[in-house]
Amino acid sequence: MSDSTLLSTLLLSPLISAALIFFINMLFLNPRQSLFTFLALTGSGVSAVLALIVSYQSYFHAQVFTSHLFTWLSIGEFTIELALKADALGSFMLLFVAPVSFLIHLYASGYMDKDKSYGRFFTYFNLFIFFMFLLVLADNPIIMFIGWEGVGLVSYALIGFYFEDIQNTYAGNKAFIVNRVGDFGFLSALMLLFIEAGSAGFSFDSIFLSLAQIDPSMLSLIAFLLFVGAMGKSAQIPLFVWLPDAMAGPTPVSALIHAATMVTAGVYMVARFAPLYTMTPDISLFIAYVGAFSALFAAIVATRQYDIKKILAYSTMSQLGFMFMALGVGAYSTALFHMFTHAFFKGLLFMAAGYIIVAFHHKQDIRELQGIRKSLPLLFVMMFTASLSISAIPPLSAFFSKDAIMGALYASGHVELFLMALVASLLTAYYMFRMVFVLFYSQKTQSTKKSSKSMLYPMVVLTVLSVFAGLLNLPELFGGNLNISNWLNLLDKELLLPHAKELLLISVNTLLILGVILYTYKRYAYTQAIHKESQENLVAKKFYVDEIYTLLITQPLHYLSIFFEQKISHGIIDRLINLSALYYARAGILFSYLENGNVRFYALYMLIGVVSGFVYLYWALRGVL
Amino acid sequence: MTNEFIALAVPGLLVLSAVFLLLFGLSSHYTKNRGYYITLGTLVVSFLISASGVSEKHSMDLLPGIFNSMLVYDTFGATFISLFLLGGFFTLAIAKSFIDSTDYFTHESFVLLLLSLFGMVVLSMANELITAFISLEIASMSVYILVGLNRDSLKASEAFFKYLLLGSFAASFYLLGMMFIYAQAKSTNLDIIAHYVLSTDIHSQLLIIAGSMLIMITIMFKIASVPFGAWVLDVYEGASLPITAYMAGVFKIAVFAFALRMFLLDYIQFEAYYDILIIGGALVTMVGGSLLAIIQNSVKKMLAASSVVHSGYLLIAFASTSEDTSGAASAIIFYLFAYFISAIGAFGVLSYISQGSAKTINYDDLNGLARTNPIIAASLTVFMLSLAGFPSTIGFIGKFYIFTSAIEAGYTLFAIFGAITAFISIYYYFKVIMHLYFKENPHMKVHYGYKISFAFIVLSAFTVLWGGVGTSLLFNLPGINALNELARFAIESLAM
Repeated sequence: MSDSTLLSTLLLSPLISAALIFFINMLFLNPRQSLFTFLALTGSGVSAVLALIVSYQSYFHAQVFTSHLFTWLSIGEFTIELALKADALGSFMLLFVAPVSFLIHLYASGYMDKDKSYGRFFTYFNLFIFFMFLLVLADNPIIMFIGWEGVGLVSYALIGFYFEDIQNTYAGNKAFIVNRVGDFGFLSALMLLFIEAGSAGFSFDSIFLSLAQIDPSMLSLIAFLLFVGAMGKSAQIPLFVWLPDAMAGPTPVSALIHAATMVTAGVYMVARFAPLYTMTPDISLFIAYVGAFSALFAAIVATRQYDIKKILAYSTMSQLGFMFMALGVGAYSTALFHMFTHAFFKGLLFMAAGYIIVAFHHKQDIRELQGIRKSLPLLFVMMFTASLSISAIPPLSAFFSKDAIMGALYASGHVELFLMALVASLLTAYYMFRMVFVLFYSQKTQSTKKSSKSMLYPMVVLTVLSVFAGLLNLPELFGGNLNISNWLNLLDKELLLPHAKELLLISVNTLLILGVILYTYKRYAYTQAIHKESQENLVAKKFYVDEIYTLLITQPLHYLSIFFEQKISHGIIDRLINLSALYYARAGILFSYLENGNVRFYALYMLIGVVSGFVYLYWALRGVL
Repeated sequence: MTNEFIALAVPGLLVLSAVFLLLFGLSSHYTKNRGYYITLGTLVVSFLISASGVSEKHSMDLLPGIFNSMLVYDTFGATFISLFLLGGFFTLAIAKSFIDSTDYFTHESFVLLLLSLFGMVVLSMANELITAFISLEIASMSVYILVGLNRDSLKASEAFFKYLLLGSFAASFYLLGMMFIYAQAKSTNLDIIAHYVLSTDIHSQLLIIAGSMLIMITIMFKIASVPFGAWVLDVYEGASLPITAYMAGVFKIAVFAFALRMFLLDYIQFEAYYDILIIGGALVTMVGGSLLAIIQNSVKKMLAASSVVHSGYLLIAFASTSEDTSGAASAIIFYLFAYFISAIGAFGVLSYISQGSAKTINYDDLNGLARTNPIIAASLTVFMLSLAGFPSTIGFIGKFYIFTSAIEAGYTLFAIFGAITAFISIYYYFKVIMHLYFKENPHMKVHYGYKISFAFIVLSAFTVLWGGVGTSLLFNLPGINALNELARFAIESLAM
C-alpha cells in the first residue's frame, strides 16, 4: 500500500463503516447487532492498525505521510486542497487517538449491548473518529475547521443520544451553543489569518512562513481568537460550563469524546499553531493563566461533587488546565505528553465509572454506591491504579507528564503559576481518593452479578498503558532522553532545572500528595463524612457560575429576543409586510379588471403601447427632425 | 458532416416527417402511439444533428446560389435550434400521459407540432426580413391551431380565436415596419440594411428606426410582454397543458433568436433609442405579470402569468446588450434554457397529474401530494424553487447572470427592481410548495402510470438541480461552465 493510500484508508475506513451502519440501520427493520459490532470494530480497528504503522514510521524513520484527496475549492489562483499530512505532531496524535478509540469502541459494544439504538450509536461513534482524524491530519486550517466542527456536531448528537429525556437534549444544546462561541473565535481568527497571510497559499506551512510579515498587534489578536476556539472545545474558563452537563451522554461517549480525544483538540490546535504562539508571548502567558485558573477552579469544584461522572468531568477540565499552563509557558511537547497519558488514565476512569453504572442499575451517586469492592475486585484495582496515576505518584505515567509540567512552570519563573498548579495537583489527589475511598472502603457491601468481558478487556489494556506510558518520555534525571519531545521537535522553550533542584521538587511534591491521600483516607475511608458535607456552600454550588451566566447572558439575551420577536418582528416588520401584501393583492385585483377577456380591449392596449412608443420616439428624435 | 448538410438536414427532416405523418395518418396502420413515437424520433434525430453544430464557432451564408443570402447558418442559430428542439422533445415526452388520456391529439396535431418547429428553425436562421416573417407565421399559425385543438372545449376555441385575431393584428405591425425599412434601405436583407445604416447619417435613418420599433412590437407581442401580451392568460388557460408548456417554454426561444440576431449587431447604433423602450416594457411586464400571478387560484394561470414576469427579466437582459457586453446576450440564452427546463417541468407535472382532464388545477388540488406521490411533489418543488430563482437551482444561476449583466450595463436600479419582483414571486411559487407539503391530504393515492412522462419529469428536475450546482467534481457531465461557454460561442459567432 502506498503512503498516500494508507493515510486515506486510515481516514476513510471509519467513515465507510459509519455509512454502512447508517444505511443498514435505516433500511432493515431488525438488523443483527453483531453485524453492527463487526462493522464498527473493523472501521476503527483498521484505522488503529494503520495509525500504529504511521506513527512507527514517523518515530523511527522520521517519515512524513501525505495524501491529497481532491481540490475542494479553486478560485482563480487560490485553492483549498483536501490534503492530509501526518507529520510528527499528527502521527503522535494518531498514536493515542486511534488505539484508544478502538478500545473504547470495543468497550462500547459491551456497554450498549441490546440498546434499541445500537446502530445509531455506532454510526455516530465511527463518524466521530473520522472527524477526529480529519481534525488531526488536516494540512490546512480550513480542513482542520471542518474536522473541528464535525467532532462538535457528533458530540452534540451523542450528548443528546437518549433524546426521550428532554434534559439530555438541553445538555446537547448547551454544549453546542457554548462551543459556537468558541467556534466564532476560531473562525474569526481564520478569516484574519486569511486576509493577512492567505495570499501565498493557506496550508499550515505557508501560513507559518508568512507570519513574520504580519503586524504584531494583529498577530496577537489572531492568537487570542484562536485560543477562544480552544477554550470552547477544551472546556476552559469561561467556556467550560458545557462539559459537566455533557455527561448526560452514554458513558463510552464521555470516555472517548469528553475525556480522551475531542476535548484535547484545543490543546492540539494551540500546539499546531506553536510558531504563532512563540511570536506572541503575551497571549501565551494569558493562556497559561486561563489554564491555571481552570485547573484550580475545576479541582475545587470536583471536591464537592457526588455524581461519579461529574467528578471525572471536572477532573478532565482540571487536567486540560494543566496542559494549557504548559502550552502557555512554551513547553509544548510537555503539554502534549500529558495529553497522551491523560487519554489512557482518564479513558480508563470513565470506563470504570461506566462499568459501575451498568453493574449497579444506573446509579451514579457515589453516596449510593458505597462498598462495592467485594463485588468488583478487578475494577477496584484498576480504578485505584488510575487514581494513583492521575495523582502523579511515581512511577506511574502521569507522574512523568505532570511532573514535567510542574518543572517547566517552575523553570519559567512564574512562581504564582507554579503554586496554583501545585494546589490544583494536591486537590486532584484529594477529590480522586475521596471518590475511591467512598466507593470502595466502606462497611457496607453491595453485590452485583453483571459483568461483560468486552467491557473488561479494553480496561485491562488501558490500565497497563496508564502504568507504563510515562516511560516513553523519560526525563534525563531518570536516565531517559525525552524520546517523545525529541520526536515531536516543536518550538519548545528551554526550561531546564538543575538535577538537584528537580529532584527536590519531585520529592516534596510526591510527599505532599501522599500526605493528601493519607488525609483523605482518614477522612473518608470507613466513615460517614461524605454524608455530612454541606450542600449549600460556595463550592457545592459550583461558585454559582451557571447561575451567573444565566443572569448575565442567557436572561438578557432571552429578553432581548422576546423584545425583537414581539415588538420588532411582529409589531413592525410583519405589519409592514402584511400591509404591502394587502396593497399588492388589491393592486392585483385592480389589474385583473384590465384582463377582462375582451379582445377589443386587448387590441386597445396594444395600440396604446404602439402610440406611446411612437410618442417616445418622436420626443427622443426631436432634435433631428 | 458539413455545415451545409446540418443546416439543411434539420428543417428538411422536420418537413419530411410532417408530410409523411400527414399521409400516414390516413392509412389504417396509423395509431396514436405510432404517430407519437415517429414525432419523438424525428425530434431526437434532428436534435442530435443540430447539436453537432454547436461545439465550434462558425458562420456561413447558406447556399447563396439558391437562397440568395436569405439564410445564414452559424453557431448562434445552431444553439437556438438545438435548444428548442430539446424543448420540444421534453414537452412531448412529458406529455405522453396527457396525450394518451385525451382524444383530440390526432395525427394532425403532431404534424402541426413538427411544422411549427420547422418554422422556428428557419426563423433562427433567417437573415432577411421577409423570410423571417414567413417562418414566424408558419410557426405561429401552427401554434394557433394547436391552441384550439380541443374543439369540444369552448374555452379552447375562444382562446384560439383571440390568439389568431390578436396575432394577425400584431403581424400587421411587422409588415408595416418592414415596409418602412425597405423604403429607406431599399433591401430586406439584414446585412445590407446594416451596411446602409453604417454608411449614412441619422437623417436618412428615421424610417428604419421607426420600422424597427414596429418589428420589435411584434416580438414583444410574441413573448407576451405588457401591454402587448394581454392575450396570454386567456390563451394559456384555454390551451391544453402540453401546448401551454410548449408556448411558454419553446416558442419564446425562437422569437428571441430572431430578436437577438436583428437587434444585437445591425441596430446596435440605435441602442440609445430602444433601450429605454425595452426597459420600460420590462418594468411594466414584471409588475403586471407578478400582480396577475399573485391573485390566481389556478396553478396553470399562475404559471401563465408568471411566464410574463420571466419575459420581463429577459427584456432587462435584452436592453443590457451592447457591443461590449456579450455577457448579456449569453445570459439570455442561459436564462431561456433555465426557464424552459423549469417551466416545461412544472407544466409537465400539472399535465401528468391532471390525467388529461380539462378541469382546472387549483392550489387546493395539490394538497398532500407530497404524501401520496413524494417524487412528483419533490420534482414540482424543484421546479418552483428554480422558477423563483432559489440558489442551487438553475433558475438562480440564470437570474444571477441576467442581473449581473444588467448591472454591468449600468441598469443597477432595474436589476434591483427585478430582484424585488423575484422576491414577490416567492409568494406564488412557494404557495405551491406549501400546499404540497403542509396541507392535509383529502384524496387517495393515485397511480398515474406512464413511466416515460414520469422519467422525464424527474430528469428535468435533476437537470434543474445539476444546472444549479453542477461542477465536474463528481461526474464528468457538462455543468454551468459548459452551458455558459456554448452561449458565449453562439453570441460570438454572430459577429463573424
